[in-house]
Amino acid sequence: MKGRAAMKTKIAILALALAAALPAQAGRPCETQPPTTQAVERGMTLAQATARALDASGAQVAVLARAGQDLSKYGLRWSHLGFAYKGGDDGRWRVVHKLNHCGTAQAALYRQGLGEFFLDNPQRYEAAFVPLTPEAQAALLPLLRDNAAVARLHEPRYNMVAYPWALQYQQSNQWAIETLAGALEPGATTRARAQQWLQFKGYEPTTLRLGTFTRLGARVGMANVAFDDHPNEKRFADRIETVTVDSVFAWLGRAGLGEGAPTMVRL
Amino acid sequence: MSIQSLMAAVALVVSLNLAAPARAHTSPSEASAALSLLPVAVSVAAPVLVVGGASAMTVVAVHASAAGTEWVLERVSDGVRGSVHFAGHVSTGIGTAVVVSAVSTGWVLSAAGQAIAFIPNELGRALLHNERITR
Repeated sequence: MKGRAAMKTKIAILALALAAALPAQAGRPCETQPPTTQAVERGMTLAQATARALDASGAQVAVLARAGQDLSKYGLRWSHLGFAYKGGDDGRWRVVHKLNHCGTAQAALYRQGLGEFFLDNPQRYEAAFVPLTPEAQAALLPLLRDNAAVARLHEPRYNMVAYPWALQYQQSNQWAIETLAGALEPGATTRARAQQWLQFKGYEPTTLRLGTFTRLGARVGMANVAFDDHPNEKRFADRIETVTVDSVFAWLGRAGLGEGAPTMVRL
Repeated sequence: MSIQSLMAAVALVVSLNLAAPARAHTSPSEASAALSLLPVAVSVAAPVLVVGGASAMTVVAVHASAAGTEWVLERVSDGVRGSVHFAGHVSTGIGTAVVVSAVSTGWVLSAAGQAIAFIPNELGRALLHNERITR
């Protein structure tokens, strides 16, 4: 009994220690600390600057990223993306994106303003966006305005490092590119078909190098991290593939779906 | 922004989901919205607030009803009062010292350095929207 208890303690300590080693302290419980006045001011100012830059681009739909976390040790600049689009009659920018709930294993789709998008205590007050091509904008815009259509390929079971070519879970960036696939390819009516189209179009996920102890710690300590959707040969070779903003930006350019390099907005 | 245009905006409701904020940090696909924790005023009957810079206020009354919550604020320097309305239940303590700071998108109400509410102006309202699409 003593041995088992000690083992449990060890695993718990391991989980705590290694949780911080994963991409960005994922799965922190819900914070109840209100933001500072300066954080509100800066977030809203970034939202305003981003709205101006989006207006200046002439686009109606763009892939918009924020830097919520420091992922530089993985060679990544951005942490989360959504679709920014010009909303209904008021012409205001809205963002449709997928959010994980307080470190749980569930996520939902939200439509928010640019204010909410950037008021999340970001790691850097910077944004980047890539306008989609006119054809892609025209295909996606009706979906973004339609709650049922935009949720068609949404899977609520969430795993922040979901494997891009599996159906078990779906992380936020993955929902976005699968939804883009569904908008552009009439035959992509299921997640499986959307993923086939993404492969056909040359999407390549980021490979994170996550060792055994990091994986074990994360799995034990965080409800929103799982590795059981990854193929064993990759998982046990410490190769965790997942959909990242940086890989999506690179792919949009490569596949001819985005208009040019990402536009940066900084305070 | 004039008091008149601020008052004209009373009908606008910036509804933030205060009860169930999506709050977490996850990457490479992350989450959340800090503003979910920050009550946004739906209307203001407080010309006293519409000033530049920062003003020191005190919460002198809090009225909760089915229609929402009203905070009555009193400016420390001259005792002038005004009120701020929120949708839903937004608590604060009577006697709380509040600083109202003007920013380009509205006014931030803070207590002890932490933002406790936001009053958007026209620019700010255009940037705020919170709607959950799926359950």
